Amino acid sequence: MKIMTCPINGPRAITEFAYGGEIRPMPDPAAASDDQWADYVFNRNGAPGVKQEWWCHTPSNTWFVAERDTERDAILRTYLYTGEA
Amino acid sequence: MSVQFQDLSTTPRAGVKGPGAAEWLKQLGLPVPDVPNTWLPLGGALGGGLIARLGNTEFLVEGPESVKLAAPISHGVYPVLRQDTALVLKGARLNDLLLETCSVNFLAINRTTRPALLTSIVGVGVTAIPDGDELRLWCDSTYGEWFLDTLRTIAAELA
Amino acid sequence: MPWRLLRFALAQKHPEPRMFTRHDELKSAYDVVIIGAGGHGLAAAYYLARDHGITNVCVLEKGYIGGGNTGRNTTIIRSNYLTPEGVKFYDESVRLWQDLSQDFDLNLFYSNRGHFTLAHTDAAMRTSRWRAEVNKHYGIESEVVGPDFVKKAAPMIDLSCGGHAPIMGGLYHAPGAVARHDAVAWGYGRGADMRGVEIHQRTEVTGIDVVGGKVTGVQTSRGRIATNKVLCAVAGSTPRILKMIDVRTPLYIHPLQAMVSEPVKPWLDPILVSGSLHIYISQSSRGELVMGASLDPYEVHSTRSTLDFPEGLSAHMLDMFPFLSNVKVMRQWAGMADMTPDFAPIMGKTPVEGFYLDAGWGTWGFKATPVCGKTMSWTVANDRNHELITGFTLDRFRDYALTGEKGAASVGH
Repeated sequence: MKIMTCPINGPRAITEFAYGGEIRPMPDPAAASDDQWADYVFNRNGAPGVKQEWWCHTPSNTWFVAERDTERDAILRTYLYTGEA
Repeated sequence: MSVQFQDLSTTPRAGVKGPGAAEWLKQLGLPVPDVPNTWLPLGGALGGGLIARLGNTEFLVEGPESVKLAAPISHGVYPVLRQDTALVLKGARLNDLLLETCSVNFLAINRTTRPALLTSIVGVGVTAIPDGDELRLWCDSTYGEWFLDTLRTIAAELA
Repeated sequence: MPWRLLRFALAQKHPEPRMFTRHDELKSAYDVVIIGAGGHGLAAAYYLARDHGITNVCVLEKGYIGGGNTGRNTTIIRSNYLTPEGVKFYDESVRLWQDLSQDFDLNLFYSNRGHFTLAHTDAAMRTSRWRAEVNKHYGIESEVVGPDFVKKAAPMIDLSCGGHAPIMGGLYHAPGAVARHDAVAWGYGRGADMRGVEIHQRTEVTGIDVVGGKVTGVQTSRGRIATNKVLCAVAGSTPRILKMIDVRTPLYIHPLQAMVSEPVKPWLDPILVSGSLHIYISQSSRGELVMGASLDPYEVHSTRSTLDFPEGLSAHMLDMFPFLSNVKVMRQWAGMADMTPDFAPIMGKTPVEGFYLDAGWGTWGFKATPVCGKTMSWTVANDRNHELITGFTLDRFRDYALTGEKGAASVGH
């Protein structure tokens, strides 16, 4: 059983978590061109690497950030998001 | 039956969350757990029940004191609808039932710190409080019947 | 005994390759370089040589022939898709499949079984009716059937599914079939090889040379090759290759796991899929039950397996076939599925001139192997997108014109 550590609830089985995708900064919708906006909406960084991702501990609905190596499926670090909601 | 189930869903309970929730509950005269995911009994003069801190800023109050949470809510405090199925489980095979249905090892939990665990049992998100040889469970009531039925079936197989 | 067999007895070394010619050296230049010796890449090589007379072609493979998703899928072939683009495309593929064995002189064990998409809810029945109508409009055998029909085709089924999700009916697609997936890659590979195409295994692409927006060559672990045309058919490794030429796509990679049971006597003729239970099952010609479920829930770029997978899949399988409780799981594995947001592939020309893409085949690429080979070879030979793939180009995302092929995947994506 793969274990992920929720910053609030501690280490738990990966089945208690939901994946929310890579953290992607949103361009300014008013200023972005159609192409930039389409790029933001659809395109993904699909290549392997260490990525910052959104994850949610579903029983407590705790959203947090996980740093994960997608090639080794290794969780390097988890922490609460500190930026503006 | 090696595991006994008691349904406490009709006990009054209420919830609040938000950055101002802890302070507001203190003003109502309730003891507030300092550490996330712990609970305190509302014994003696408070007439029984408990208060649990779920995560950083969410609280569950059960028992007679929960009526206080109906008071007008202040800034930074938001009501949380609590229509839980609430259960008490106990019995000789309780831990075996948990080992089959949940990935948390309840035997390793230190009960003296009064932990409140948010985890999942048979795939249903639950709040779990081990207290002595009993386990208190709360889950969304839309899962209630299926949840209880599934646990009973597995408990029957253990017997 | 034919006389020609004598030379096998007399020779010190085996006098001819069993399947493929071995090429010790890469040439310095090819007309076309195909990355990926899976079904799609080899099929494109085969049709380039056979139909377009382009034989100065090299197929590069990091691992071994058919070792990626070609050898990791659950071998189901069908054409009961939801969009007109999808239906036409896959129907052409099913037609090509039916005489491939003749074409290759190799038994693909193409076995027509009939394919059921079971419906456990009113909503699923509604979708079944919709799909049946789209299919029938394009002349594809596809109809909505009731539970009795399902029971007759698979008598061992528990129609109540343990009481949780009773089967209300389903979509029945008579041409649904299975085939031996390795043989498909070998058949295409050998066909291409016999026509002069070079297949280089254990040769990794490390870079793509682009000058002035045009492909000029490919860097490999065994040296540089000059070429003006590159076809990329590498499924789950596509984003790694595209990163080399700075082309952005919506592709994201999730593992798809599958497993087989020990061989048992034949008892299951059709292929069964249940969206509600997230499972599909068929019985192979060896008697093994080939079973799959939905995608792993998060991005991973490896082919690791998990214990959660056989646990969850078995639990749902027992809802449908309780008598399987004593059958053992023999092995499990995973493939890297390259997913798109609209469940349609990404095919054709790209912003880099001379770079052609055949990707986004996610969990549904095996059945499309022949038609992908046909259309991509045409596209590479003519430097123009084949008419069957114009709905699948990369531009559709920039233009917000998605294809919406929700019938693509068998179960719950």
